[in-house]
Amino acid sequence: MADSNFEPRILAFLCNWCTYAGADLAGVSRLQYPPHIRVIRVMCSGSVSPHHVLRAFQKGADGVLIGGCHIGDCHYLKGNYMTIKRMRFLQDLMKFVGMEEGRLHLDWISAAEGPKFAQTVRDFTAKIQKMGPSPLKQAARAA
Amino acid sequence: MERLRDKVRKLLAEGKAGGYIGYKMVEGHPLPHFFTKDRLSEVDEAIVPPGDARYPLDKLLLQVAARYPKETFAIQVRGCDERGLIELYKWGQLDPDQVVLVGVACPQDQADYCECSGPFPSVIDYGEKCRPVPQSQRVTRVEGLAEADALKEWLGHFGRCVKCYGCRDVCPMCFCKECSLEHPDLMSTGMVPPDTIFQLVRAIHMAGRCIDCGLCEEACPADIPLRVLYKKANALVKDLFDYETGSPTAVSPWKVLGEESTLQTKPM
Repeated sequence: MADSNFEPRILAFLCNWCTYAGADLAGVSRLQYPPHIRVIRVMCSGSVSPHHVLRAFQKGADGVLIGGCHIGDCHYLKGNYMTIKRMRFLQDLMKFVGMEEGRLHLDWISAAEGPKFAQTVRDFTAKIQKMGPSPLKQAARAA
Repeated sequence: MERLRDKVRKLLAEGKAGGYIGYKMVEGHPLPHFFTKDRLSEVDEAIVPPGDARYPLDKLLLQVAARYPKETFAIQVRGCDERGLIELYKWGQLDPDQVVLVGVACPQDQADYCECSGPFPSVIDYGEKCRPVPQSQRVTRVEGLAEADALKEWLGHFGRCVKCYGCRDVCPMCFCKECSLEHPDLMSTGMVPPDTIFQLVRAIHMAGRCIDCGLCEEACPADIPLRVLYKKANALVKDLFDYETGSPTAVSPWKVLGEESTLQTKPM
């Protein structure tokens, strides 16, 4: 998509204990990252249902970012085991129906990884910018 | 057929089963019927439905079992029905000690039509084992499409949906009392076709649960190839978690958190 005016809308589900704190660290460290991301704080990335992710795409998100604790660091011990199962499955299913699996990204970002959070958001925003608007949104507009 | 009837008669007469869920011809139509000891003569009319006439007997059993929780019931099962019962045991909906199987093996043309990987149950009282179909050609075809073409095709299918909920209502594995497809905060209401994600949400719920009976696709008034979607969802669960839906021993990946996680996140 060569549309240079395209401003992606990215929804981020961040876990309260690691990635949200990591985002906080990025903030207090005054690290710059693109403002296209809207954050929803969840108590655990394992509480994010694939339904929520699909709902985000339905409602016009161009990308969805899920941030959780590293495996083994989950505040609830094994919540993120479920996150990775669900999201890996959803990515593959999205690929099957042609919804571009790259629009869904899962990353483990700890509370100490402020720079990693900023970098992940920068990379993901750049990627979505390059991919263009979500095909679901284009389909809805055409209908 | 007599072998099946004898077995049912014996089960009912000896009180090993409080009832038998099977089929009976009613005015030329094969319909599900509940046979009991009190009307034992009806068993003479018990049949295996001809052709591809099928109903979600598992779902009927769920209702009967909920009403008579202490009773044991016999039920006619095909390969898919038995997989369904096993999944229902796993999800705590039925007690395996209270179900007696009366098995029916599907004929080869039915197995070919369904692309069924397990067209016979563990107990066979009617029919002969036939050749299973390991790989679905319908799934393989869609897998071969470019992403944009696949999306176009699926959007075309999803756009025909009239939101009748027929796929969910006929599904023997849909036992929830509340359905997220009816939740106004998760699914837009008051429009047809429904949200594009409607079928995808169902596909997610069917992953590792779909027993591939194909009743959803037969019930669908819009001819949406739901079966392709669910077959793929199951294949993904097999690839990712090595879980075969309906396996009597394996534990569903959606139930356990596991001792360790070996899956890796996908690189950006």
